[in-house]
Amino acid sequence: MHPQLEILLELQDLKTQQRELVEAAEDSSHEIERKVFRVRPEDAAAQLQAKIEEMEATLAPDIANRYRVILDRRARAVAPVLSGICYGCFMTVPTALPQSNEEIRWCEHCGSFLYFVD
Amino acid sequence: MQLTEFFTEDVIKLDLQGDHKDDILKELISLLKLSEKSEGILFKMLKRRENLGSTGIGRGIAIPHCRSLVVNHLRVAFGRAKDPIDFKAIDDKPVSFFFLIVAPPLEVSNQYLPVLGKIAQLCREPDVPEKLAKIETPAQFLELLDQKQV
Ligand SMILES: [Zn+2]
Repeated sequence: MHPQLEILLELQDLKTQQRELVEAAEDSSHEIERKVFRVRPEDAAAQLQAKIEEMEATLAPDIANRYRVILDRRARAVAPVLSGICYGCFMTVPTALPQSNEEIRWCEHCGSFLYFVD
Repeated sequence: MQLTEFFTEDVIKLDLQGDHKDDILKELISLLKLSEKSEGILFKMLKRRENLGSTGIGRGIAIPHCRSLVVNHLRVAFGRAKDPIDFKAIDDKPVSFFFLIVAPPLEVSNQYLPVLGKIAQLCREPDVPEKLAKIETPAQFLELLDQKQV
């Protein structure tokens, strides 16, 4: 896997986790983490935010630019590709594109970075 | 929805070999049969979740969990350690029983939190640790889930 794609994936997983921690609704991750695992969601979210910022600083400048541009428009920078479909926009990814994570690719429709799921 | 819908015999391992938290997490992940790269990313995410606070909920049980792009649908596994492991659990007791739950960030059917909730509910039942200790085959684990009607 392209090392920058790996960072993008981790960033997105961290952001997913953080977003869920701050959404306090009934039966939410926030509530489960608090009640079952005795985690303080606010502290955990702050800890994740610090990690996110630390990792964002390790993105190469051109990748970081595109990352910011995508996040200005969309909630997530990386879209998984399953069965040839970009889950950012649900359009077909051209089969001419090698289905590989060894290079950084983005969707020509929605602009998301693409991650081909195993 | 029942937990038996998500567990199959091949994701149940009753003799985890690891004697450290990291080894145990890796062994659990390996039950999911992902690529090596995906396993590595998942391990990092589970570790990050553990760093926020142990998923050891007491009475010898831990529920490591996270969401990650590396899986395309909800995945679960169960493992039992040969010897109890120091997992920094909330009651400070060592952990023998591990329920792993991993889900993609977006799920159409939204099963992650309900499954996490059901496993937590199962683990609160007084006789569950004792029953998990006595199980001899993966099939018996599935029978226990069935009996408990979770
Ligand atoms: Zn797209």
